[in-house]
Amino acid sequence: MIRYLKKYRLFFILAPLFMLGEVSMDLMQPKLMGIIVDEGVLGLSNGGTGDLSLVISVGVKMIALVLFGCFCGIMSGVFANLCSQNYGNDIRKDAFRKVMSLSFEQTDHFSTGSLITRVTNDITQVQNLVMQCIRGFVRTFLLFAGGILCMLTLDLSFGAVLVCALPLIVICVIFFIGKANPKFVILQDKLDKLNDVMQENVSGIRVVKAYVKEDYEKGRFGEANDELVGTQLDVLLLFSYMTPIMNIILNFSIAAVIKIGAIQVGNGSVTPGDVMAAITYISQILNAVMRMTMIFQTVSRGVASGKRIKEILDCEPSIADGDFAGECAVKGKVEFRNVSFAYPDMKNEKVIRDFSLTIMPGETVGILGATGCGKSTLVNLIPRFYDVTEGEVLVDDVDVRSYKLGELRKKVAIALQKSEIFSTSIRENIAWGDPDADDEQIRRAAAVAQALEFIDQKAEGLDTQVTQGGHSLSGGQKQRVAISRAVLKNAEILIFDDTTSALDLKTEAKLYEALKKEYAGMTKIIIAQRVASVKDADRIVVIENGKMAACGSHDDLMESSNIYRDIYDSQLKR
Amino acid sequence: MSESNKQSMSNYKVPGMRGPRNRQVEKPKDGKKTLKRLMGYFGNEIKSIIFLLIVVMAVVAASVYAPRLQSDAIDSIARADFDRLPEILLIMLAVYFVHGLGTFLQSRSSAVLSQHIVRRMREDLFDCVVNLPVRYIDSHSHGDIMSRMTNDVENISNTVSQSLSSLFSGILTVTGTVAMMLYLCPPLALLSCATVLLTIGATKFLSKAMRAFYRKRQALLGELNGTVEEMVTGYKTVAAYERQEAVIEEFDRTSEELTKSGIVAEILGGSMGPVMNVINNIGFVIIAAFGGYFAVNGVISIGIISAFIVYAKQFGRPIDEIAQIYGQIQTAIAGAERVFAIMDQPREDKSGDKDMNDANGVITFKNVNFSYVEGQQVLHDFNLEVRAGHKIALVGATGSGKTTVVNLLMRFYDPDSGEILIDGVNIKDIDCGNLRQNTAIVLQDTVLFADTVKNNLKYSSPDADDEMMKNAAVMSNCHDMIMKLKDGYDTVLSGGGFNLSQGQRQLLSIARAFLAQPKILILDEATSSVDTRTEKRIQDAMVKLMENRTSLIIAHRLSTIRDADLIVVMDKGRIIEMGNHEELLAKKGRYYELYMIQFSGNVI
Repeated sequence: MIRYLKKYRLFFILAPLFMLGEVSMDLMQPKLMGIIVDEGVLGLSNGGTGDLSLVISVGVKMIALVLFGCFCGIMSGVFANLCSQNYGNDIRKDAFRKVMSLSFEQTDHFSTGSLITRVTNDITQVQNLVMQCIRGFVRTFLLFAGGILCMLTLDLSFGAVLVCALPLIVICVIFFIGKANPKFVILQDKLDKLNDVMQENVSGIRVVKAYVKEDYEKGRFGEANDELVGTQLDVLLLFSYMTPIMNIILNFSIAAVIKIGAIQVGNGSVTPGDVMAAITYISQILNAVMRMTMIFQTVSRGVASGKRIKEILDCEPSIADGDFAGECAVKGKVEFRNVSFAYPDMKNEKVIRDFSLTIMPGETVGILGATGCGKSTLVNLIPRFYDVTEGEVLVDDVDVRSYKLGELRKKVAIALQKSEIFSTSIRENIAWGDPDADDEQIRRAAAVAQALEFIDQKAEGLDTQVTQGGHSLSGGQKQRVAISRAVLKNAEILIFDDTTSALDLKTEAKLYEALKKEYAGMTKIIIAQRVASVKDADRIVVIENGKMAACGSHDDLMESSNIYRDIYDSQLKR
Repeated sequence: MSESNKQSMSNYKVPGMRGPRNRQVEKPKDGKKTLKRLMGYFGNEIKSIIFLLIVVMAVVAASVYAPRLQSDAIDSIARADFDRLPEILLIMLAVYFVHGLGTFLQSRSSAVLSQHIVRRMREDLFDCVVNLPVRYIDSHSHGDIMSRMTNDVENISNTVSQSLSSLFSGILTVTGTVAMMLYLCPPLALLSCATVLLTIGATKFLSKAMRAFYRKRQALLGELNGTVEEMVTGYKTVAAYERQEAVIEEFDRTSEELTKSGIVAEILGGSMGPVMNVINNIGFVIIAAFGGYFAVNGVISIGIISAFIVYAKQFGRPIDEIAQIYGQIQTAIAGAERVFAIMDQPREDKSGDKDMNDANGVITFKNVNFSYVEGQQVLHDFNLEVRAGHKIALVGATGSGKTTVVNLLMRFYDPDSGEILIDGVNIKDIDCGNLRQNTAIVLQDTVLFADTVKNNLKYSSPDADDEMMKNAAVMSNCHDMIMKLKDGYDTVLSGGGFNLSQGQRQLLSIARAFLAQPKILILDEATSSVDTRTEKRIQDAMVKLMENRTSLIIAHRLSTIRDADLIVVMDKGRIIEMGNHEELLAKKGRYYELYMIQFSGNVI
């Protein structure tokens, strides 16, 4: 990840340099203040008569220095931001690009939620880390070291205070941070629990009310609430010790500096102005230590986030591109040869077992089977969302693994069970099927998918914006938009993965009629729950427990397959 | 899960650490009224508030007095009056100790105070939420309701625990410091005030410039996160349509823009410190120059100058803080406004005192009219009588009003006109809890809780024993599936059972309804994701269970309802056909049409 910094190494170096300028100005200040007080106001070397012109001249010098410091500070900010934010930007872009190239096996492994946090929150953490390193850390360290140096040049005896106070502060900070961190984890946990109860009650309000569980839920919430409040109080009370203790250490150190200062002034080795400067330095040093701990928090968070991002960046897509460009004589043929498949996390549980089937160009094949029998998995193998565990899948007589992924997926249009709709206009959602399509084509696809009617009923028609997650559309509408998209793609092979489940029978019938009329030559694979959806397919495949249980036309199967007849009877028996 | 925990941890505010300087400030609509109401929550805590006030005063007094002592000490050093020094230092230590102790008590009592208030507020809010009419929940975004519970209440809590005492002490410090400065040397005090004014001016100017960029950055960040979430969740579709490049391009564009406005915003934000530093130093020089002038003329001592330097610092900080706190308080009040808005919603009408424990289950709809949104009537003069012990089915296209019938029967909504009777008693006169206890419902969108399978099943009837529970599970065909789970009936369903398939979830909620032993059972598309053969088995079990009880079934699949005693075909909120399967087929009407489509299959 460090290599991403290379591009911005100039900024990476300039920022701390300017910071050095700012900090040196900051450090010179107390000394100049001392001179103003000692010589200008008190006139120590002048027998007790102040010198106003000195106050003015040193004052002007000081303001000039401070202005320079201000300039350095701003410039250091400019470079630090240029460096850290561009760095974050580069990583973010690469990480997202990488995510968009992962195979589903990998996205399943990471889980969607974790991928999202990695590309968003984790990047911010890493960006903060860089920022803190080149600015916060440098500044704090310089103030700390410089403060010590300056204070010791005033008089070595002030060092005694440091020797006592520093370890105390450090121990204190480590103690509190060590105590607090596990509490934060618990706190987050309790917060999640409370939110879960709330979430369940809001989205499940009907069930809560239906079983008259309001009081029970109140009790459950009260419990979660009490736990959260208890933990939060715990954390707050812990911190209520921290600030006063730190303050007391700091203030006692100041008193000690005054005491030592008094002795040294008595000896004549320091001036009262020096004592004032020393007070400023000691608060600076101790404050730096406290700030340093906060920085370490950011750094450790940033490092953890960095590791998580690196996992993504280092991930090689497990489905590698082939080099076959996709020019075939046959168009629209799909063949499964002794295919077995198991999800990587469950190696020993095969979802598909020794499955063979050849689907000819232009053929319509219906797939039936109980929930979880492997229907969806089977069609997922065609566009290579997953690779077979054993056997091979061929499209147009070529193994799908030989294709360039893009070429293969051009041949396949798939509408998924969970219709994924994006927060843009309906037009844009459909046009994903074919970015070059004009309005005419989009409308035609929507008409085939029986979506045009409801789209035209919307005030803005195709331009209607879909809210995130497609919540502004009903289930059936989402499915029809997804079908429009698949139809518009006009690919060789069209796959519906239970995409018509939310359509009423009439609409579904119209859809299939339109499909047959407009896209007769397309190979169609239709997964469904309802026998009616697939009854007129050229062939119907019945899958049970990942195996082909029956295959044939409706009439054949009625004759030969018990399972099919069973399904049929359960749905359509007169 | 643990990963996301660590993530959000970083967003947690460490007490005592100030949040980012330019968080967006939100303005409440009617701040005064809300504040007054918020004060109501403080009412019970009056003792702790008074205690807090006293402690804050002590702390402020100490922090105003300490620099005075410091300057005395320096004075005595300058005068070489070392004998007085130990005494001054001793007092100083005592004052510091008081200060420390006070700060401790202050943060402690404000923590307790804030948590008490927040706990009560959350309880009140939740009490309102579970008693809200379903209509409210249906018509408002769940995310919004959730965010009131979490963000808004959290905001109020933070403000109470941190800002309140800071505000007290800020105001006291400013007054105290000004008084002290005026007492020590009025002309110098006025000069210090001038520099403070300069500080305020500069802060105001810079924050104004910054706000626009921070706002833009916030918006872009939201957009970017939205894109990531959407594209990663919908990745399969992205990949299926080869949209990766286009998606990446869009992401890069947003990311680029975000970086640009982020850089400007942060640079402006980061320059605040150095600029303030310059102003503070100018202030220092002014004080030193004039102080020196006064000292030369013998008006004041050098110790007073050193005290002034400290005071000037002490004085600027709280003013800056008060400005920030003011913004925080405004945001919190705006949040409180949203919280109270929910609390002000009328509660669900649960009146009625009759019970239906001995009812037979005769359901009558009499001239019922209903609309969710005024002007868009969903049920028109709906009349229906369901005999006790009958199984009745509602069929019809989406939007024909089937689910509405269920909503009305469960009193999730009340009809606009007309009445619904059970055994001749208007359901409005029946105790709402009793009505619902005797009516079990299974919905298409299953609701399971993040709890064990056992507790989920027993949700409907906590007194049921394990034997009864198992029976219900066997009847609904999910016993075998449950036994395959890791811990059987004790398996905890993560996140409301999302580790189960939709079909499995439906089976569990059917078992839950069976276990309730209801007088009336309602299945609203309850088996839509269950394959038809399993469904058949469940129905057979249902026949046994629902003997002499009334059941109401809604389904798309006609196979689900074929055996019903009465099939009601609905269209656009009206009943267009009624009868049993054979009768309706013989009629060759709408039901026949639907059936034929299903039976003959589609033309593929």
